[in-house]
Amino acid sequence: MSAELTQPTSGERSSGTLPEGEDIRKNVAGRQRRGKIYQGLLFATTLIAIFILGLLLFNVINDAFGGVAIQSTTEEETLTGGRPLDELSQPELVLLLEENLRSRVLGNLNREQPLAERDAAALIDLINAELIQPELVEIYTLTEYLFNREAILAELAEDYPRAELEFKSWVSGDFVTEPMSSQPVDAGVRTALFGTLWMLAMTVVIAFPLGIGAAIFIEEYEDAKPFDERKAWGRFLNKSLVRINSLIGLNIYNLSGVPSIIYGILGLAIFVRALEPLTSGSLFGVGGDATANGRTIIAASMTMALLILPIVIISSQEAVRAVPSSLRQASYGLGATKWQTVSRIVLPNALPGILTGTILAMSRAIGETAPLIVVGASTFIVTDPSGPFSKFTALPIQIYNWTSRPQDEFRAIAAAAIIVLLVLLLSVNAVAIIIRNNLRAKRVS
Amino acid sequence: MSVSDKYAIELRDTHIYYGAFRAVKAVNVGIEKNKITAFIGPSGCGKSTVLRSLNRMNDLIAGSRTEGEVLFLGQNIYAPDVDAVQVRRRIGMVFQKPNPFPKSIYENIAYGPRINGWRGSKAEMDELVERALRGASLWNDVKDDLQKSGLALSGGQQQRLCIARALAVEPEVILMDEPCSALDPLSTLKIEELMFELRQRYTIAIVTHNMQQAARASDYTAFFLMDSDRAGEIIEYGPTERLFQNPNDERTEQYISGRFG
Repeated sequence: MSAELTQPTSGERSSGTLPEGEDIRKNVAGRQRRGKIYQGLLFATTLIAIFILGLLLFNVINDAFGGVAIQSTTEEETLTGGRPLDELSQPELVLLLEENLRSRVLGNLNREQPLAERDAAALIDLINAELIQPELVEIYTLTEYLFNREAILAELAEDYPRAELEFKSWVSGDFVTEPMSSQPVDAGVRTALFGTLWMLAMTVVIAFPLGIGAAIFIEEYEDAKPFDERKAWGRFLNKSLVRINSLIGLNIYNLSGVPSIIYGILGLAIFVRALEPLTSGSLFGVGGDATANGRTIIAASMTMALLILPIVIISSQEAVRAVPSSLRQASYGLGATKWQTVSRIVLPNALPGILTGTILAMSRAIGETAPLIVVGASTFIVTDPSGPFSKFTALPIQIYNWTSRPQDEFRAIAAAAIIVLLVLLLSVNAVAIIIRNNLRAKRVS
Repeated sequence: MSVSDKYAIELRDTHIYYGAFRAVKAVNVGIEKNKITAFIGPSGCGKSTVLRSLNRMNDLIAGSRTEGEVLFLGQNIYAPDVDAVQVRRRIGMVFQKPNPFPKSIYENIAYGPRINGWRGSKAEMDELVERALRGASLWNDVKDDLQKSGLALSGGQQQRLCIARALAVEPEVILMDEPCSALDPLSTLKIEELMFELRQRYTIAIVTHNMQQAARASDYTAFFLMDSDRAGEIIEYGPTERLFQNPNDERTEQYISGRFG
């Protein structure tokens, strides 16, 4: 009796019904409609993301370009009687200076190098600095400059009647090649750019071999038994090794989520303080700046390497795992040892994937600020870094420093530095992607 | 002819475990020199496991363990002082799915000799590559462009490239794990013809799901089946012709006539 109830005989229809006839069309139309709605939602999310990115870019560009109002102590025309400075001959320029400068200033200049011996360009610079003295009195963002010109000109006419409104791009060749300065108009990112490049290169040199090595060990040697299995201590060590390996594998994911400032504090304690003889270079007798005390490029690079190591390991692990096991089998089947298989088959085939992941890690290293502040990157430094053991500053530090100043000019050069940082980021990524694609093409063709 | 002269490989009471699970139990079988021995049976009955135990490829699977003896020319390859790497050099393998390296045809062949410490001039290597490709009847197909990627070949050609790659290290035995299951009938035929040629110089063991293939292309056949514990065992072993025409065991007869499996 109970068996009959629980087991429907074949051919019996289930209690629910499937749509039939006209209902099929309606049902399908309904399902398609729902699909369309979700498609629209997905499109909207993409749009929002792009909009936010666009807003960010707009904001940076708006600050990095715009108008400046310049007012000079003496106008060029009144000084020269209407002729442009660069048309004057050298003796005329000397004469101009001798006529207009006070005798004490003139005396000092002549003592440095007689004016008559200086060339025209140097003299023009001198005239600009000592006589014309152009001064930036007001700056405007790009939108203000473009769409609010009338109001700006009216305001200027009232406050600075002699001022002239000019367009200015804060990002320029000079901005990239000039060293740091306390005057925003003269300041450049040269030192910061060199600092970032030095640090990035050393971070890559430290983090990649460590990360790739660890990834290969975790993936390929997880069940390696290097000790003698026939002895009790060998079995114990082998078992411990497997356990340590799986523990590490588990925790790398957590490490990649640790806030960067914590790596900074770790770097300060270990690389800057504890390993000071090493990171200041005094151990090798090459101590760069006496004032650096371990707050050097090498210390920052080690900290940064620590920070990106989990990312490098995880992405390399994934790349190694993605190498088909059939290739490993083929290699072993021909009598290859583990190391031959790893070095000749696994690693070359995983390399494009490894590079893809490490590009991400490099991008992160370029942009990180917090650990550098903790490790002690200098905020004001005018000399280029000369090697791993010199003091340094980096682009994000410079940007952070400038954005915290009250003057408008610093806001503008901070935006310009952001553009330099973005361009650097994109070019480093582009180079890495080109290398990767070349490798990939070589392996397949 | 003594026993160890007749057989290239001999399994004596071999049990294979994956962790606690016994995948194969009490296999006793000899693989005769210069003959083709086929392993047939339904899925999961341990044919491939036994085949891979013959050159210690099972060692690569974590937790696998082999008990009993596997004698290669009279020597137990599972003896403690034997390195699996040295075994695989002499007992080559061809896999189910063609798996050429993502390198050129030339480099695919040259890989084996190089990792095994081959020394010689470029011209000698060229010769070796040509010999291996000729041995696998692939030379005429690829001789014009040896720098082409191995992956650019057709499925059947890729499998012959894998055979050529195995031949390049001059093994004594070639193990083939369902080498034709991913190939079309024409390519399959070519591989079978190739096996007959190779038999003159090599000993071949092949796992196949294709009963006709076993019947046409082998000298000896071993029929595997799972017991009630899901451990594979050999039900019947004998000359192929006899086993297919006049099986001793009822289960063999049922299987080869297509009544199960």
